[in-house]
Amino acid sequence: MAHVPDEREAKSSALTREDLLKRAGAAAFAVSMFGALPDKALGLYGPLKYQHKQLSGELKILQWAHFVPSYDQWLDNTYLKQWGEKNDVDVKIDHILNTLLFSTASSEVAAQSGHDLYQFISPPSSFQKQVLPLNDIVQEVSKKIGPMTKVGRRSTYNPRTKKFFGFPDNYAPDPVQYRRSILAEAGVSLNTWEDVRKGAPKLKAAGHPVGLGMSNELDSNMFLMSLLYCYGGFIQNEANKIVFNTGSNRKGAIEALELMREIFRNGMSDEVFAWTPASNNQAFLAGRLSMSLNAISIARTAEKSGNTALSDDTWLASIPRGPVMRLGNEHVMGVYVIWKFAKNKEAAKQFLVDQQLAYRQHFLQSEYYNFPAWTGAIKGGFKTMRALTKQDTHKPRGKYTILTTIAEKYTTNVGHPGNSNAVIDEIFNRYLIPQMFAEVAQGKSSPANAVRDFTREAQSIYRKWQAQGLV
Amino acid sequence: MGGRARAARRSLPTYLVLGPFAILLAFPFYWMLVTMFKEDLDLYNAENVPYVYNPVQWKFWESATTKHVEFLFTDTRYTDWLVNTALVGAVVVAITLVISLPAGYALARLSGSWGQTAGIGIFLVYLIPPTLLFLPLSPLVARLGLQNSLLSLILVYPSFTIPFSTWLLMGFFKTIPQELEDAALVDGCSRIKALLRIVFPISLPGILTVVIFAFSLCVNEFIYAFTFISSSESRTISSGVPSELIRGDVFFWQSLMAATLIPSIVLALLYNAFLDRFIKGFTGGAFR
Repeated sequence: MAHVPDEREAKSSALTREDLLKRAGAAAFAVSMFGALPDKALGLYGPLKYQHKQLSGELKILQWAHFVPSYDQWLDNTYLKQWGEKNDVDVKIDHILNTLLFSTASSEVAAQSGHDLYQFISPPSSFQKQVLPLNDIVQEVSKKIGPMTKVGRRSTYNPRTKKFFGFPDNYAPDPVQYRRSILAEAGVSLNTWEDVRKGAPKLKAAGHPVGLGMSNELDSNMFLMSLLYCYGGFIQNEANKIVFNTGSNRKGAIEALELMREIFRNGMSDEVFAWTPASNNQAFLAGRLSMSLNAISIARTAEKSGNTALSDDTWLASIPRGPVMRLGNEHVMGVYVIWKFAKNKEAAKQFLVDQQLAYRQHFLQSEYYNFPAWTGAIKGGFKTMRALTKQDTHKPRGKYTILTTIAEKYTTNVGHPGNSNAVIDEIFNRYLIPQMFAEVAQGKSSPANAVRDFTREAQSIYRKWQAQGLV
Repeated sequence: MGGRARAARRSLPTYLVLGPFAILLAFPFYWMLVTMFKEDLDLYNAENVPYVYNPVQWKFWESATTKHVEFLFTDTRYTDWLVNTALVGAVVVAITLVISLPAGYALARLSGSWGQTAGIGIFLVYLIPPTLLFLPLSPLVARLGLQNSLLSLILVYPSFTIPFSTWLLMGFFKTIPQELEDAALVDGCSRIKALLRIVFPISLPGILTVVIFAFSLCVNEFIYAFTFISSSESRTISSGVPSELIRGDVFFWQSLMAATLIPSIVLALLYNAFLDRFIKGFTGGAFR
C-alpha cells in the first residue's frame, strides 16, 4: 500500500492520455453492454478521479479530541483531506472526550454499527473479539520502515491468538514535570524514588507538595503501575501469568506501597484520592505542585498561558529510578482498531499504513506528543526526533529532548513485562491499582494484605479471560 | 417620604433573609461571567484574586479578553449545538405534550382506583438511568438508521420525559374540579371539547411546568447525546461542549464557562418569565 505521496509523486500520478483512452474505451464498452444500468457500468471500472484508485466510499474515523487543538485542525482539514483526495475516499472524522472512548465503543459494538476506524488511547484488549486482526498491515509497515517499538508490539499483540488486535499508531512518553526553582531551593533531587521520599516533606513544608495521584483515573493508573515496575512489583510475568504475590514481585509491590504511604503522609494531601486526569495539570498550573508525572500537556499549557515565570521554571525529567529499574508506562497509547462490522475495511487499513509511513508531520503538529509506534516512521528515528525536539524555542531550551531518551529507554507498555492483554485492560479500567495504593495510604489495609487482595482479584479476572481464550 | 421609609423598614427583614440567598444563587453566574473573559495568565495564577480581572484596575476590561468567547464561536460548532439543542428540545416537548396530556388526564379521571398505581408505575420508569439503557438502545437506534442523527434523540428522549410529565400532569388534573367538566358536558360539549376548552386552559400552569421541565431534561441529557451522536455538527450542547472544550487533561475553562453561561441565561429567563405558573404547576397536585 502506498504512503501519502509528496508533491512530486502527486504530479507524476496525474491521469495520462493512455489511461484516459483506456478508461474511455472501457466506459464505452460498459455503457454499450449495460446501458440500462449506468451505475453498475461505471462501477466496473469506476469514475476515477485519481490514478491507482483502489479504494472508494466513505471512511469513518473516531478518535479522542487531542490536547493540542491545532493538531486536530491540521489532521481534519489538511492531512485527511489530502489523503481522501489521493485515495478517492470520503473521510469523516469525529473527535470525542477521551474518558468516554470505552463507553462509546461499547455502544458501537452493541449496535454493530458505527465508525470504521476507532482509536483508543490505551490498549483495548477487551474488545479483541470485535475487531479485525491486523497482522497483515503490521507486517507491511515493518517491511518498509523496520521493526515496531516494543511498547507498540506488546500493547497490541496477543501471543495466545497470535494476532495484532490493534494497530499501534503512537504513544506519549510520561515524563516528570517539576518546578526547578522549588526543588533546587528545597535541595530535592528526582533521581531516585528514595530521593522523592526524602524530599516530599520538605516540598510540602515549602507549600508545594508533590502531585502523585491515587485516584480512579488514567494518570494515577499509569504512574502507580510505573512505580511498581521501578520496585520490581510486576503484576504479571512475560508469559502473562499473574505473579504479583510471589517472590520478588511481592517484595517490590510491598515496598512501593510503603513508599507511597510515606510520600502521602508526609508530602501530599487527601485531595489526591479524588483527582481526575486534569487535577495534577490544574494544581501544577496554579503553581501549587512541585512535581507531577504527566505527558507534556502541563508544560505546553503553561507555555500557552503566557505565564513565562511558570513555564520557564517547568522542567522535564525521566521517571525516578527505583531499587530495581527506571521504567515507566507510556502515558497514552494510541491504538486503532477496525471493527468487524466496519464497512470500509480496505480504506481503513490503507489509512493506517499511510499515516504511519509519513509520521513526521504528526510528530511535529502534535508538539512532540505523538511518538510513532515505529521508530523508523520518522526518517532517522530517535536521532531525528531528538533534533526536532531540540528546535523547540521555549525555555529552558532543549527541555523536550529528554522525551526521546524517555521514549527510547524508559517507556514500556501497560502490563510490562507481559503484554497489554485483556486481564491488564480490566485491571486498568476498574482502577484496581490506584484503589490498592489508596487503601494502604489511608491506613485501611496493610501493604501485605493489599497485595494479597489485589492478587486474588487479578487471578479471578485472569480466569475469566482465560476461559474466553484471550490469555 | 415617611411612608416610603416605613415601607422600606417593613421590607428590610425580607431583603435581609433573601439577600444572602440571592447572592449565593447568583454567584455561579457571576463566576462564569468573570471567568469567560479572563486571560490564561490571570486564570492560572493562584495568587490573583479570582473574582475580578487581574491586574485590578478601574478600566477592568483592559485586563480582560474576548478571545476565548471568540474561540467558542469561531473554532467550534457552538452555534450548531445551540440550534440542535433547541430543535431537539422543541420537538421532544411537543411529543411529550401530545402523549402526556391525554395520558395524565386519563389516569386522573378515567382509570378508577388503579390509576394511582399505574401513575406511580409510570413514574418509576423515569427512574431507570440512561447509563443502563444506552447499550440496549444502541442496536435499536442503529437498526432504524438513526445513528448520528438528531432523530435518535427525538426518539429516545420521550422515554424519560413522558413518564415524569404524565405523573406530574396526573396530579395537576386531579386538582381541577370534576364539576367543571360535567357542566361542559351538560352544555353539550363532547369530552374532547371539554378537555380542549375547559380542562387544558385551566391546566396551563401544569402544562408550562411540563414544557420547561421536559426542555431542561433535553438540554441536560448527556449519555444518549454522546453515544448516539458522534459528528460535531450534529451534537447538542451537553455533548458538544465537553467533547471539544475538554481535550485530554486540558480544560478550556473560559470557553467552557461561556458555553455553559449562554444557555443557562436563556433557561433562567424562561423559568423566571413563568415562575408563578411554574410554582403553581409543581404544587398543583400537592393538595389533593
